[in-house]
Amino acid sequence: MANAKSTLLAGAALLLAGTALSAPAAAETTDIVGLKNGTIGFVLTSAAWGLHQTPDGKTECPEGYNEGPREQFRALFPKGGTVEGTQLERESASRYPMDKEDNFVYREAKGQVGLGMNLDGKVDANDFTSPDGVKGIDNQLYRAIGCTRLFRAPDGTFANFTEMWVREMGFNRILVELTNVDNLANDGDVQVNLYRGKDKLITDATGKNIIAGGSNRVEDRFSKRFTKSLKGKIENGILTTEAADVDWVWSVFYDHPGYYGIKQARLQINLAPHGDRAEGMIAGYTNVDTFYQQLVRAWSTHHSSYGGMSQPSLFRALNRLADGMPDEKGVMTAISSSINLKFVQTFIEHPAPKVAATDSAARPAVEPARR
Amino acid sequence: MRHILTLAGALAVGTFLTTPVLAADAARSVIPAEREEYARVPMPANIHVEYSELDGPVFATPEGKTLYFWPHTTMRNGVTADPKNQSACTNEKTTHTAGLMSPYPPGLELPELDKRKSCAEVWIPYVAADDAKPVGAFGLITRKDGRKQWTYDEHALYTSYLDKVPGDVMAATTGNMGSDGPAAREVVTAPSAIPPGFLVYSSVSGRQLLTDKNLSVYVSDRDGSNKSNCDAACTREWAPVTAAASAQAQGEWSIFERSPGVRQWAFRKKPLYTHTLDDGIRSMQGSDVPGWHNAYTQKAPAPPAEFTVQDSITGTVLADAKGRTIYYYNCADDSVDQLACDQVDSPPAYRLAICGGGQVERCLRDWPYVEAGAGARTLSRTWQVLTIDTKTGHLAEPGSPGSLRVWAYKGQPLYTNTNDKDPGDLYGHGNGEFIANRNGFRAFILRDEFSR
Repeated sequence: MANAKSTLLAGAALLLAGTALSAPAAAETTDIVGLKNGTIGFVLTSAAWGLHQTPDGKTECPEGYNEGPREQFRALFPKGGTVEGTQLERESASRYPMDKEDNFVYREAKGQVGLGMNLDGKVDANDFTSPDGVKGIDNQLYRAIGCTRLFRAPDGTFANFTEMWVREMGFNRILVELTNVDNLANDGDVQVNLYRGKDKLITDATGKNIIAGGSNRVEDRFSKRFTKSLKGKIENGILTTEAADVDWVWSVFYDHPGYYGIKQARLQINLAPHGDRAEGMIAGYTNVDTFYQQLVRAWSTHHSSYGGMSQPSLFRALNRLADGMPDEKGVMTAISSSINLKFVQTFIEHPAPKVAATDSAARPAVEPARR
Repeated sequence: MRHILTLAGALAVGTFLTTPVLAADAARSVIPAEREEYARVPMPANIHVEYSELDGPVFATPEGKTLYFWPHTTMRNGVTADPKNQSACTNEKTTHTAGLMSPYPPGLELPELDKRKSCAEVWIPYVAADDAKPVGAFGLITRKDGRKQWTYDEHALYTSYLDKVPGDVMAATTGNMGSDGPAAREVVTAPSAIPPGFLVYSSVSGRQLLTDKNLSVYVSDRDGSNKSNCDAACTREWAPVTAAASAQAQGEWSIFERSPGVRQWAFRKKPLYTHTLDDGIRSMQGSDVPGWHNAYTQKAPAPPAEFTVQDSITGTVLADAKGRTIYYYNCADDSVDQLACDQVDSPPAYRLAICGGGQVERCLRDWPYVEAGAGARTLSRTWQVLTIDTKTGHLAEPGSPGSLRVWAYKGQPLYTNTNDKDPGDLYGHGNGEFIANRNGFRAFILRDEFSR
């Protein structure tokens, strides 16, 4: 088993591979435009579940990819039938997946290579090894969804839509603020604040590339669930945080708000030397129920069909592979996972002190209907 | 299916109309004294304008039945509804799905065929006399059975069996469920009497006034009659809605000179502004500032007094007395007729599949109805107390075994979801086919802060 520090550093080195970010070097604070009064902010521009993908997928999915609702429907009801007996039966199965048997073959991702972090500090048979050799990587979610086209980047629709909606939809505007920063290359004690922002991202003249240097206001009325302070440190330009429970906001369609509850989440972010960009991951144990409910509520059978994701089949896989947060009966309620992240620097603006009339925090939990 | 909500409804202090308590049968619509004015247009003798609670002035038959149209719509797998100057809504009863929506194939047998109505029984063509003549935008087409049918702007006109009293818009409101909703019927609203540069948008809170760029328009308590007290510092946050040199006052709309050469619009004598800090269209953010309010041409009837408003991760939601988010059920079938399956007389199979995997008991456990207290009374045509059979969801006789008095919005029972534990939770939102745009439950979102 690698010790925690070497795992983190090796993992971060992996993140550097294939990116435009150069190896972190000690940077002078004066060179870092976004760092003011010991504070620097970043805004999320890209997110994707941490899946190790080979070009043709044959290494991790030697038996091919999973079949989805369209294929399962055809197999179950080759002669059609009634709406109640077919269409509504499948919709019921998505919401109450254990009501009936599911005998379809489910293909889990295979192999030894995976992305993420060593969350439990152990190395066991179920763990992966990172591409650069770090052992003990915990990412059972990869096993569950790695052979489902929906999630595979860049063409899987979940991956594709996520990339689009992280940029375009204010609901997903995640801000990361580092405070108490003396040096962006090495600092043993920084505070990492997570917020949700309320402003659009700014792009270059092409409209495609998010650029650093904008500003974003903190949304503090409807985003309390997503506000979190973490203790962190920076070593050789790599920010790591202590583990904490985080609700990670992530919606892929307008008007369908949702988030993933990640237990014992930790950030591992490579900070570009001049502080204009950052790239890394958040890893932890994602609550199986919120993961599944997110897909059922915010990802229709139709959209699942795009990428071969059968919700009832996936439900079983998630529960079969869950490896964290046992309940009182010892049933695992969460699954190890990681999310790849990219950021650009932004100036985070905090709201002015509120007057009583607009202070939602001062309102009673249940208030009379406003007429 | 009824589009009972717009996607970005709004609520703020004082947003809803204060509703007088009606007789229990709510025999008439509750229309505020400050109602939306409409532009006079040429109309046939047998069409007039009624006031609706949610859509403002609407065209109606002599009996007060609201008129609807069914615009040609591209679905996932084909098109349906009425091409211009044609009616696709016939007396022939459809028996199988059309496969217009993905991923399910066409040809599935529809539920309860013995009770199923034809399109023309649900959406009754507004037939004209043989000697009727076109008037203004109202025209005529000939149906396949030889009868003449009225049109408006080349759309065939219908009435709904759901509408019972003049001004009812029980079958639809203006708005949509997005591209994956059904091919919806829309209310034929009378043109609003608003000057160029403004729009009116039907939200759950009322007819919201916007600029023609969909920016929210606000009024201030500090202003006087046709007088602005918003000084230079104030205008950095509140931009006066200026009137062009050629603009003319009309009806409830006036223009005053706020400073030499700068003319500002006022509505009902209240100066109008946009909020420069709003982060998008149809915003409610300005109404968080004390003394400032979104402007409405007509406010919607108020919900029951015991209901509450809660902050959620997406904005504000309507909730019951305990703070539990309220949901409505939304459904349209996949037949070529795109008929509603969310009404109290619809086959329950659609709803039961989503709320309980086909099991009534599980539905009642996971999606309990919003019960109306013993003293609760119908407030308006919009907010009614219904007695329903909890097993079928159909209307029931008061006091009958298995019946329950529940709150309903536009004749549609309301629910909570047991996954919601804390006020503002909305874990049931979007649970259904096509993210509940076609068959499922949607939260009663009053103010959508992020998806406008």
